[in-house]
Amino acid sequence: MDELLGVARQAVQLALESGATEAEATAAVSQRFATEARDTTISKLEQSTGRSLGVRVFIDGAKSSLATSDLSADGLRAMVREAVGTARFVERDSLGGLPDDFGKPGPVESLEIYFDDVLAREAEEKIAEVRTLEELIRAYDPRIDNSSGSRVSDAVASIAFANSRGFEGSYRSSSAVRMTNPVARDGDDKRNAAYGSAARTYADLESTLEVATEAARRAIGMCGARKPPTTRLPVIFERDVAAAVLGDIFTALNAANVAVGNSFLIGRVGERIGSEAVTLIDDGRIPRALGTAPFDAEGVATRRTIVFERGTLRTYLYDTYYGRKLGAASTGNAAHGGIGPSNFYLEAGEKSLEELIASTRRGVFVLDTIGFSSESVSGAYSRGARGMMIEDGELAYPIDEFTISGKLPDMLAAIDAVANDLRFDGSITSPSFRIAEMTISGN
Amino acid sequence: MIEHLDAEAFTQILTHALGAADYADAFYERRVARSLRLQDGRIHEAGLTVIEGVGIRVLRGEQAGYAYSDDLSLEALRRTARVASLIAKDGAARVRAVALPPLQRAPLMYAGMPDPDAPADSQAYVSLLSRADIAARAFDPRIRQVNASVSDEIQDVIVATSEGRFVRDRRPLVTLGVQCVAEGVARGSGFYGDGGRRGLDYFVTRTPEEIAQESARIATVNCDAADAPAGDMAVVVGAGSGGVLLHEAVGHGLEGDFNRQGTSRYSGRVGERVASELVTIFDDGNLPGERGTIAIDDEGTPGQHKVLVENGILRGYMQDRLNGALMGVASTGSGRRQSFRVPPQPRMCNTYMPSGESTFEEIIASVGRGLYAKSFLGGQVEISKGDFVFMLAEGYLIENGKLTKPVRGATLIGNGPEIMTRVEAVGNDGQLAARYYTCGKAGQYVPVGVGMPTVKVSSVTVGGQAFG
Repeated sequence: MDELLGVARQAVQLALESGATEAEATAAVSQRFATEARDTTISKLEQSTGRSLGVRVFIDGAKSSLATSDLSADGLRAMVREAVGTARFVERDSLGGLPDDFGKPGPVESLEIYFDDVLAREAEEKIAEVRTLEELIRAYDPRIDNSSGSRVSDAVASIAFANSRGFEGSYRSSSAVRMTNPVARDGDDKRNAAYGSAARTYADLESTLEVATEAARRAIGMCGARKPPTTRLPVIFERDVAAAVLGDIFTALNAANVAVGNSFLIGRVGERIGSEAVTLIDDGRIPRALGTAPFDAEGVATRRTIVFERGTLRTYLYDTYYGRKLGAASTGNAAHGGIGPSNFYLEAGEKSLEELIASTRRGVFVLDTIGFSSESVSGAYSRGARGMMIEDGELAYPIDEFTISGKLPDMLAAIDAVANDLRFDGSITSPSFRIAEMTISGN
Repeated sequence: MIEHLDAEAFTQILTHALGAADYADAFYERRVARSLRLQDGRIHEAGLTVIEGVGIRVLRGEQAGYAYSDDLSLEALRRTARVASLIAKDGAARVRAVALPPLQRAPLMYAGMPDPDAPADSQAYVSLLSRADIAARAFDPRIRQVNASVSDEIQDVIVATSEGRFVRDRRPLVTLGVQCVAEGVARGSGFYGDGGRRGLDYFVTRTPEEIAQESARIATVNCDAADAPAGDMAVVVGAGSGGVLLHEAVGHGLEGDFNRQGTSRYSGRVGERVASELVTIFDDGNLPGERGTIAIDDEGTPGQHKVLVENGILRGYMQDRLNGALMGVASTGSGRRQSFRVPPQPRMCNTYMPSGESTFEEIIASVGRGLYAKSFLGGQVEISKGDFVFMLAEGYLIENGKLTKPVRGATLIGNGPEIMTRVEAVGNDGQLAARYYTCGKAGQYVPVGVGMPTVKVSSVTVGGQAFG
């Protein structure tokens, strides 16, 4: 770690020597492992250690950034010199520059983002797990006779940060993933599913049996799917697709988008936009969560920010620059290359997902969406989807090849039930929720 | 270039990697990408990315071992080779000689090759962005925001294989992208951009003004657009960018890995009818200067022109070395990767449909009620069932054979083989999309090209909001 911090310090020093007025650097080393099986064959085994350095230099607020894998002294000198040189082509900006206040990151240990078991676990053990996942999905149902593979991967990273205001910090983090992709035979059709579990330690992962069973259940559940009619109905988003909807909401909350007119939430802070059930939080300090870190990409301490409080928009999410631009303090959301979530989530409700489904007379339960690109400026939302038709409070039959559409502000206002199944297995997470009505486009 | 990485060094690395395996390769890459971004009428930030390293892969049957190193010392690379070879460690090591010929240079497939040792031409970037900003704002008083960025990259690669291939390539890639927000009845945004495997001088003839005006035009159309309709209807897919349809509905399903594994909707169907007889689809790595062009792929195989579908009959898949070998066919030069940190996969290059006979006017006039999907932001496909989506960037209602009002972005959904059998007319206006696209697969992103003439599909599900 001292060596990494040395690299970061050296990059900052080189920038100042080359004419930068301010500079910061993040140096990282990560060790990655991945293995995959298909049926009885170990199809992939990948292990590497990679280095990276990110540097931001300022000349009177004009910003230039460098990202590189070359940490050698000679290479670094030339690249930092070029980065400083190009900053001279950027307009001076009184709002640019390093943060004035870094906050207090507190002890890293309490965040519980590094676990020794990830590095210590033997490759043989992980290889055995992917074999097991492949056996388990096939054992679930004879229609599952193929797969796109089962995978176990993990990563351990060391990160060191230094800047020209003398702020320094470092930490280690770990993560592990188990996942599987069964393919079921359904007459002439094939039905795939993907399901996985991610955590900071192997100890927090769902078991191979849980992961395989859920994936297999989903693939078999889609057998016999048909296209629904075009209509308007309540839509329940299962937690993973619910999180994807929050991803689109995050884009509109990103102060960089707000500042350039590219958000449907411009000028609406203080306004009631969502339903009573909508409390959205960004919290970079949840122990063991995958979006947790002591400080953000600018060295600003992470924190808990209530973004929507029972439907009312309280704030956008900021880094230092866009905070200054819009008259707010950084919320500790600076990411490399922009503004990003720490742990951005919808507060869980009290009912189970089963109760949500049971309380829906007729509706659509969405398990997967495909497509991207909501128009952030209008909030127009449209996705391809598959899932189950709900009739009389029960999952009646599988449906696919349809779209769901609406407008994000209307969707926030129409969230009328939130389940209790939130888990922090990504940086944007959500419990399942129901939207009172959306357009279903099918036959 | 790294001088110590010569034939002898690669021979040593490959010999270490090969062990009991069938095949080994090493991929050296140095990529230098420079960018500049404009926002609020000001040059806002500059960027420089430099990555360099070697990826080493070992194949035995269906098994692939992989490791990379950004430490280029021979000692580190030998260690990396041993890690990559672990997947085959239970076999009996055979000592085999790896012999590399003198380093070959790939044929030149790119236009306006820049000098890789020249310093960044920041002043040229500033000029392109400023001209784009001025042109977009002058296009219409409703344009409120303009964001523009230019990116200029050179990727140097060397591929060495245990089968004696030893070849290098130098690939330029430029892009200029402009995003506009317009305020009319409501607010709307537009994005447009162009570029290719060319030098910056591409933007002398393809001017930043043209690109910016097109982005501004789309934003002004969208700010007054109505909600898109919901339900099944005839869709006329626009020339150029409509090639996203081919990329998603057919292209991904013909990639060798999915077909070798039998997970694609198109598995085992070579020689069968998979589309209307009006449909012919090519994938081509050899179109000079295009975004998806590669003189050699990332396994050293020359880029090729491939017939995927001919008059509606499926002709073949796109293969990399691993999947081609397992299916008993040669690579089609389709092994591509995002960087040295990841192994290659079978990928598309420039995927397009050649011109047919109909005129644009005839095609529009033949539709009673439907949607003219002029251009697309992108798409996605689930290859097992074959359902795919493509996302509208600009669209218009067709009523009684005439284009009427613009509609907002919506997702269109269909099933690949079903949609392709519903192609009822193919226009005489085949062209590659001027817009630029990047294709994502299993977390790896590579630049691609798409193209198509105007095409009429008798029925597609349009995922708008306007219903009833």
